[in-house]
Amino acid sequence: MIPDFDVIIIGSGPAGVSAAFPLVESGLLVLMVDGGTKATMPPPNNAFLAIRASDNDQWKWMIGEEFHALRKIDAASPKLRVPGLRYVFEGYAELNQIVSHNFLSVGSLATGGLSNAWGCGVACLSRYEMSDFPVNFEHFRQSYESIAKRMGISGCHDDDMADYFGLDAWAQRPVQMDALHSHMYQRYSIHNAKLASMGFRLGRSRVAALSEPYASRMACDLSGNCLWGCHRRSLYSALNDLTSLCKYENFRHVSGFVVEQLAQKEGYWSINGREGKHRDIRSISAHKLILAAGTLATTKLALGALKMQKPVRVLSNPTAAFLLWLPRFTGVARNNTFGLGQLSFNLKLPDETSVFGSTFSTTGIPISEFARHLPTGRRYGIDLLRNLLSSCVVGNLFLSGAYSASEAKLQNDGSLVISGGYKQQVTHTMNRLMKNLRKAYWMSGAILLPGSFKIGSPGSDIHYAGSLPMRISPRAGETSSNGELHGLPGIHVVDGSCLPTLSEKSHTLTLMANADRIGRIVSASSDFTHTTTKP
Amino acid sequence: MRLVVTGASGYIGTRLTHLASERGHDIVIASRKEPTYFTTSWLYFDLLSLKALALPKETDVVIHLAANTTQADYFDKEAEVITAQRLVKSAQEVGAKFIFVSSQTARPDAPTSYGITKWRIEQVVLSAGGNVARPGQVYGGELRGLFGTLVNTIHNLPLLPAFIPAPKVQPIHVDDLAEGLLRIAERNDINPRIYCLATPKPVSFSEFLKNITKSRLRCQRLFFPVPIIAIKTLALALGDSLQTQLRLDQLLSLFDLPFMETASDLEELGLTLRPLSAGMHPSGNDRRRGLLQEGHALLSYVLKEPPCSAVLRRYVRAVEHVRNGNALGLPKLFLSYPIFLSLLDYSTWADKTKGVEFSWRLDAATMLAETTPLGAYRFLGIGSRNGVLISLLSIINAMTCEIFWRLLRVLFSPLIRFFWGRARGAA
Repeated sequence: MIPDFDVIIIGSGPAGVSAAFPLVESGLLVLMVDGGTKATMPPPNNAFLAIRASDNDQWKWMIGEEFHALRKIDAASPKLRVPGLRYVFEGYAELNQIVSHNFLSVGSLATGGLSNAWGCGVACLSRYEMSDFPVNFEHFRQSYESIAKRMGISGCHDDDMADYFGLDAWAQRPVQMDALHSHMYQRYSIHNAKLASMGFRLGRSRVAALSEPYASRMACDLSGNCLWGCHRRSLYSALNDLTSLCKYENFRHVSGFVVEQLAQKEGYWSINGREGKHRDIRSISAHKLILAAGTLATTKLALGALKMQKPVRVLSNPTAAFLLWLPRFTGVARNNTFGLGQLSFNLKLPDETSVFGSTFSTTGIPISEFARHLPTGRRYGIDLLRNLLSSCVVGNLFLSGAYSASEAKLQNDGSLVISGGYKQQVTHTMNRLMKNLRKAYWMSGAILLPGSFKIGSPGSDIHYAGSLPMRISPRAGETSSNGELHGLPGIHVVDGSCLPTLSEKSHTLTLMANADRIGRIVSASSDFTHTTTKP
Repeated sequence: MRLVVTGASGYIGTRLTHLASERGHDIVIASRKEPTYFTTSWLYFDLLSLKALALPKETDVVIHLAANTTQADYFDKEAEVITAQRLVKSAQEVGAKFIFVSSQTARPDAPTSYGITKWRIEQVVLSAGGNVARPGQVYGGELRGLFGTLVNTIHNLPLLPAFIPAPKVQPIHVDDLAEGLLRIAERNDINPRIYCLATPKPVSFSEFLKNITKSRLRCQRLFFPVPIIAIKTLALALGDSLQTQLRLDQLLSLFDLPFMETASDLEELGLTLRPLSAGMHPSGNDRRRGLLQEGHALLSYVLKEPPCSAVLRRYVRAVEHVRNGNALGLPKLFLSYPIFLSLLDYSTWADKTKGVEFSWRLDAATMLAETTPLGAYRFLGIGSRNGVLISLLSIINAMTCEIFWRLLRVLFSPLIRFFWGRARGAA
C-alpha cells in the first residue's frame, strides 16, 4: 500500500506553516489539515476613535449581533469577548475533548490558528536560555532569521532591550510610540544608570507588526483596532503564509477536519477524524505526521497514540496586569495609536528571577473592561475613567514557565484533563515584583495605581508548552531533538509542546523557528515515495 | 384527552384549541365547514340544523362554545336549545364530560334573547350533570368578538362615553379563560356546576375603556359623560326591534350585568388571572414593558441621560436572548429616579442570587451604552473639552458623588434590603 501523502501536518497555525515550508520546498507531497473555522465578519476599516464617534452599528463588532461579548462576560481576557474573534476560539476544548480544572484552556480550530488573535510579541532565546534545548545554537539562529524575515517584524532600536530580544538585525524600525510612552522612555533614559542597577531595563517592544509595507501587507497606520482585527494585515497571521503555501502544487489543504486519533495502518501512520458539516469519519495516511495542533490538542493526540496515562507537566507563564498613570498627561485628548506593546521591560531580581512585560495604550480597549474592576459604582466610575484613562497605560508581565505547576492527564475515555496551578512562591514573587516595578516606573514618570496589580489565573497567558519536551535521550512521553516522539517513529511534534523550557519571553518566534528546523530535518530524510525532487 | 369543540373558530374557540393542542390533547372540531388551518379531526355540526351529532366513542370532553350572536328569530333560538339538548344526550351516550360556555348575562329575565337562551341551555346542561362556565368580559389577543368591536369602535371615535353611573365589568383575558376551561376539562375531582371565571373585583367600564386606549391602542381619548338614564329612555322610545337593530340591547345588558362571585371558583381551579394592564398589552403580558422600564433605568443611570430607543431595544433583546427574559422587579423608586441605583450598585450586600443577576444586567447595560456614538462621548470623552484642570475637577466631582452615595448606602442598607425583598416578593 502506498500512503496518501508523504507528510500530514495537523494544524495550520504558526508552527504548522513554519514546518510546511521546508517540506513543500523539497518537493514532498504535503497535506495540511485544520479545524477550518473562518472569520464571519470583516474587521473595522477605519481608525478606532473615528468609528466610535460616528458608527451606529459599532455594537455589532464590539458586542456582536448575538451578544457574544455579553455571553462571555466572565471570560478572563477581553479577546475572548470580541465577536469578530469568536471563530478563533470556538469549539477547541469541546471538539478536542479537553477538560480543565483551574486552568484556562484556549486553542484554535481556525485556519491560521491563534495567530489570528495574538499579541504579536516576538523574541529570540539566548544561548544560555537554550542550554536545555538539544539543538545547535547557531543552526537555530538560522531558523530564527528565516522565520523573522518571512513574518515581518518591527522594533529595531538601539536601546537596552536590543540584546534581550536578539533580533534587531532582521527587524524594521519601530512603530511610532504615543506621547505617554515617549515620555516614559525619555525619563527612563535620564535615570538609566540607577534603574539598571535595580535590574530594570526598558526598550521598544519588538512585535510582528509592520512599520513599512511588505509583500501585499500594509504598514501599521496607528488606527488602533489591534484588539478587534487589523484590516491592513499589518499584524502577522499564519493565514498569510498559508496563501503562499497554497501556490505549491504539492501542497494540499483540507479545512474542517478535526483529528481525533492517530493510528498505524499497514506500516504507515494515519489520522482519523471527522470532516465537514456532517462530521463524516475519514482516515488519511502518510509516511510521517507532524503535530502542530496547539500544545493541548497535540498532547492529547500524542498521549493517545502512546497509550500513556501518566500525567505530563504543562508549562505556562504566570502573568499579571497593572495600570500605570502618568499625572503629567492628565486631561489630554485621546489620539489614535498602536494598540499592541509599545515599550517592553525586563526586570531581574537579585535571586535571578527574570520577568518580561510590555505596556500598551488603553485607547482601543473598551472602558467597560476597566469599569468592571473599579471599586466604585458604574456611574461615577465611568466619569473617573473618562478623565483618567487617557493618561494611563496598561501593563502586563510574564514569569518563567518554571513557576507553573500544571499538568495534563489522558483519561480512559480518551479525553485530556488539565489541572492548573502555580508553585507556592508565585504570590510572594509577584508581590516583590510589584514593589520593584512601582519604584522603577515611578522613576520613569508613571505611578503604578494601587489596587490595579492583578495576578492572572493559571493558563490565562495562553503560552502553554513543554508537555512533550525535546531531550537528547528522550524517554516515554518525550521527543528527540527532531521532535520525534519516543517510541513512535514517524510522528514529529513541532508546536509548543516540544519546547523543553518556557522562558518569560514571548515564545511564538522560538516555536516557529523550531518547527522550521524540524521541517528541514524531516525533508532531508529519505523515507518518502512521493518526492518529485531528490534530496 | 380527546376534546370535541364546537365554535372552535370563534374568539374563545381559537385560543382554546391552540392551548389544548399545545398541551397534547386530541382536538376534534365540530363545525359546518371543514377547517383548513388545523390538521385535526373534524365532525359536521350545525347549531341550527336540529340533527343529532354522532360523537366518537373515545371522546372524553365536549366543550360547547358555538352560539348564535347574530339577530335570531324565535325559531333559531328554539333550534339552539334543541341542538344543545341533543348534544348533551350524545355526550352522555359516550360517557363524555360536558362543558357549556355560557355568559355573565345568563338569566331567565335577561334583557337580551342571547342571555335568555344561554340560561335555558344552562338548565339543560346542569340537569344532565354537565358543567357550565360563565366567563366575564373577555378581552385580549386578536380583535374578535365583543372585544374586537369595542377596540375598533374606540379606534374610530374621537370621543368616548363615560357612562354615569359607571357600569361595572369583570374582565378575563381570553388565554386565562382558555386555561380555566381546560382545567375544568382535565380535572376529575370536581363536581359539575356553574363556574364563574372572571376578575373577582369588578372594574368600572370607563376604566376598562381607558386600559384599551392606553395599553392596546396607545392613543389618547377624551371621555364625555353620558347618563345611563338617557340611553334607557332612548331604548324605550325606539322599541324592541330597533333596539336589537342598533345593538342597544347589548349596551343595556352591559348596564344590567349581575355581579359574579368568582373568587372561590378561581381558587378551586388554581387559576390566577393576569392584571388588566398586563393583559391589555398586545403581547398578552407586560413582560417586555417591565424590561423596557428596567433598561431605561439602568441605561439612564450609566449614561446620565435617557438612552436612545435603539440601545434600549438592544438591552431588552439581550436580556431575552442571553438571560431568562424576566425583569428584575426593581422597586418603582429606582425606575423613576435612576440615580438612586447608586445605592444598589454594590452587589455584595444583597442576597447572592439577586446580586449576581443585577450585576450582570448593569454590566450589560454599561457595555451596550458604551458601544454607541453617544457612548463614545460619555465614556471616551471624544469631542469634549480637555485640560488638566477640567479633568481634575471632574474627577473630584465624581469621587465626591461616589462618597456621598456610599454613605447613604451604609445608612440605608437595611431599608433598601427591605424594599428590594418586598418588590421581589411582589414580582
